[in-house]
This record gives sequence, structure tokens and C-alpha cells, in this order.
Amino acid sequence: MFDLTVFFDLIPLLIPCECLQSRFMQQALVGLVLLAPMAAAMGVQVVNFRMAFFADAISHSAFAGVAIGLLASVDPHLTMPAFGLLIGLGIVAVQRRSMLSSDTVIGVFFSALIAFGLAVVSRDASLARDMQRFLYGDILTIGEGEIRWLILLFITVMAFQAWGYNRMLYIGISPTLATAHRVRVAAYQYVYAALLSLVVTFSVWAVGVLLVTALLIVPAAAARNFTRSAGAMFWWALAISVTSAVAGLLVSAQEWARSATGATVILFAFGWFVLSLFATFFTKDHSL
Amino acid sequence: MIRIDNGPLAKAAVTFKEVTVTSSGVSILDRVNASVPRGSWTAVIGPNGAGKSTLLLALLGMIPYHGLISIAPGEKAPRIGYVPQRFSFDRGMPITVMEFMLMGRQRLPFWFGCRRGMAKARELLGAVRAEALEGRRLGALSGGEMQRVLLALALQEEPDLLVLDEPTAGVDMQGEQIFCELLDELRREKGFTQIMVSHDLATVTHHATHVICLNRRVAAEGPPRQVLTGETLTAIFGLHMGLVDAHGMPEGDTSCTAACCRKKFHV
Repeated sequence: MFDLTVFFDLIPLLIPCECLQSRFMQQALVGLVLLAPMAAAMGVQVVNFRMAFFADAISHSAFAGVAIGLLASVDPHLTMPAFGLLIGLGIVAVQRRSMLSSDTVIGVFFSALIAFGLAVVSRDASLARDMQRFLYGDILTIGEGEIRWLILLFITVMAFQAWGYNRMLYIGISPTLATAHRVRVAAYQYVYAALLSLVVTFSVWAVGVLLVTALLIVPAAAARNFTRSAGAMFWWALAISVTSAVAGLLVSAQEWARSATGATVILFAFGWFVLSLFATFFTKDHSL
Repeated sequence: MIRIDNGPLAKAAVTFKEVTVTSSGVSILDRVNASVPRGSWTAVIGPNGAGKSTLLLALLGMIPYHGLISIAPGEKAPRIGYVPQRFSFDRGMPITVMEFMLMGRQRLPFWFGCRRGMAKARELLGAVRAEALEGRRLGALSGGEMQRVLLALALQEEPDLLVLDEPTAGVDMQGEQIFCELLDELRREKGFTQIMVSHDLATVTHHATHVICLNRRVAAEGPPRQVLTGETLTAIFGLHMGLVDAHGMPEGDTSCTAACCRKKFHV
């Protein structure tokens, strides 16, 4: 395994900020800088495919995933992404075969997941306390092992995006047209759902179940307002997400702020979104 | 069923044999037998709910069906271009017309700009008289402009078979006329076979070289002059359809022989 300490040691040199002297803050920063671009890139398609509800369902599967891990005495950090992946693929499979609308299918999974998670957690008061950190996120506790997994996921997600960004755009505009013109729609949808499920479950660490969808859609939604081309939307989403993540972490660590890191990150992203609303007056054709 | 042989066009690009589609126990297509002559402009007409769009979706392999649909048997896998009906998409999506044209062609992500295939895309946009639109946002196009860009996208597939599902629905009369004349020109130039669902009998009588009258089953099939009779139209639409002008109909060959087109192409 490669040594990550060299990266951590570089951080205080690059950003001379007192709060970044401690190792846990350096690890949190690396974790966020890996998660933010992944969430932004996948968020572009979440917005284009109108999959915010899907992301919500996966994030809420974290409850059930953690509960299963704790009950079965397996590390919840393994059961949570594994369960999220299973649910993501399951939703896509049912969506593709069912006559029900997408939101109904997701709604059914969503409710079942929450009910299952609550049923398991309610059996044990100590489990309920453990769950709180998944509700609000706890990036400051991220360790080197988890960062290694994040690096692996980062490489996979970015490789998929580089390979399939244009085709995913095709599917986002019209799956029927894409199918007719020989794009492998089903394959892209399954791979995308699997990767999105993993990004969502990892993001639960950073911002918590309640805000994970915001991490995906707010940078992408703001990026939409800043640009008129699909290529530029990617860079805008990335820039908004990474700057919000870094600013959110640094501000939340200040004595005068002392706020939850995840929530602060999302507030910065929302600030970008407000700015983007002004930008729409200058960048878009007002005729739509 | 009335079936009239097309003579020289009898070699079929597409053959439907006993094609049946049912959904939740309801029959949408019932043992459809029809053929699309190679190089023809084949129009599929029929009342609402006749199964016209379903027939195209079955042809594109997007819905399950019983029976057999064979496309140009014995040759290499045919390439299909598709222009959908009333194209609805998220109009707020940031994407330019050029990106739209290249999204199925260029593998390098658009983060690094449009690169491969731009010359070809420009050429096709020019062919559909949409060259000025390449930098425009897709969501800002009018109905007629959108249909022409969709046609350019379908032509980019270099199709042997062009499938159009009411491509001019929601477009004004002038836009529709321009679109149909453009299609005629491109079909003659590129030599593809065209199958198009249409509600507009004027378009069909003027441009089509082969007609399939559908009302869950094939009621009549053949060249428009012989098929679009008052008797057939009354049978499938249930109304008196005496307004069809047989003089404007092509004689069954692969090009439009109507007066306006003759004038245009024989100058």
C-alpha cells in the first residue's frame, strides 16, 4: 500500500492555515477533495436524468446498510456501500421492467429502506446513537484506509465519466433516440447507477444522509445557470463543488463558526447557486 | 386487405410478417403484414390509436412483439436513423447544437471541447439548412429548427433506413413543407429508404411513393394513387375523404412526381 503521509504533509504548505496543522483535518481535506469532484461529475447526470430522488433513496439505504452491519457484526463501512450498491442496481432493474413510473418505483424502495432501517435501529438504543453521525455526516473521522478506497473510487468514476460523458448526455436527452442510434443504454444505466450508489454512500460520511443529495445537485444546478454548453457545465460543477468543500471545511473549523462541516459545505454551494441565478441574465437566451 | 403490387419497387427493404403487439391484454397491432419497398418514401397512415407509432417502435426493436420483422435480408446489418414524434426533452439542459450532433460520435468528453466529426456535422447541418444553428443552445430552437436538427442527427448515422414518427407534428404548414421537400431531396441524393408515420394526407398524397393504411391491421397497401381511394379512406378513418387529389400523387417510383417537385428538380 502506498504511503499517503506525503500528501497530508503537503497540505499545510499549500494552504497555510492554522486549522490544517492537525492530521485529522488534513485527512478530512483530502477526503473532501476526492469526494467533491466525484459528486459534481455524477451530479451533472443526476440533474440531467432527474435522479435526485434516486440519490435520496440510496442515501437513506445507509441506515439499513449500517444496521445490517452492526447486527451481523460486520464493519458497517463495508455493509453500507455494499447495500447501497445492491439497492441502486435493484431500483434500475425494476424501473426498466415495471410499468410503474420511476418516482413510484423509487418511492416504494425508499419507504421500505427507511422502515427496515428504523425497525432494526429501534431494537437497540445504542444503535440509535451510532446512527446520528450518519444523519449529519462526520468527515473529520475519516481514516487512511477509507481515503485509499476513495482514491480507487475516484479513479473509477473519472474513468467512466471520461469514457461515457457524451453518451450519458445522449441518454439524458432521450433514451429512445439513443437506443435507436445504437447507444448501449441499459449498460450505461447500470454502470452509472452502481457508481452513483457508491458515491452517495461514501458522501454520507462527508455531509450525512440529510444533505447528500444537495452535494450532488446543488453544484450541478448552479453550473447549469453559468453556462450554455455541456462541456463547460462539467468544469463549472467541479469548480463549485471543490471550492465549496474546501471553504466549508476551513470555515467550519474556525472558532467563531464551529459548525457541522457537511452543512457548511452545502451552504457555500448554495451561495454559488444564488450567484448563478444572477448569471442567468447574462449567459442564456431568454427565449429558453 | 387491399394489396397492390409496386412492380419495380417490389424488392422490400423491410418486411412485416404477422406482427402482433399486445399490451396488458389489449391488442395494439393484430397480425400486420406489410412491406416497405427499397428506396421508397413509405407513409404509414391511420386514425389515432391505429398502432402507427407502435409499428415503428417494433421496427426499432424497442417493444416486444410476436411475428417477424426483417430488414433488408441477406445484407450487412442495416443502419437506422430515427426522427421521433414531438421531441420532448429538458429544455433547460445546457447543450449546444454542435454538442448534440457529436454526442453519439465523439468519445473524447466535451470537457475538452468539440473535436472529432465537426466537419461532417457541419455538412449535415448545412444539408438540412441549419448551419447557422451550430452554436445555439438546443433548448432555444423553434419546433421547425429542432426537427431539422433531429433530421441531421439521424442522417449522421448514414442510414439505410430512415424512420420518422410524425416528424412535423406541431410545426406550422410552411415549416412542414420545407421539411418534406428537404426529405425528398435528401432521399434522392443519399438513396435511403424512408418510412414515415403521418397524419397529414396532403403530405402523403404529395410525397409518398408507397402507403400502408393501418388500423391495428393493414387495411390497404400500395402506391398512393391506387390505395388512397375514397373507399379505403372512409373504411379506415370512418369519414368521407373525397378531398384527396390523385393528380398530385407519385406514380409509384422512388421520387416525387408532383408538379412542384418536377419543376424544382428539372430546372
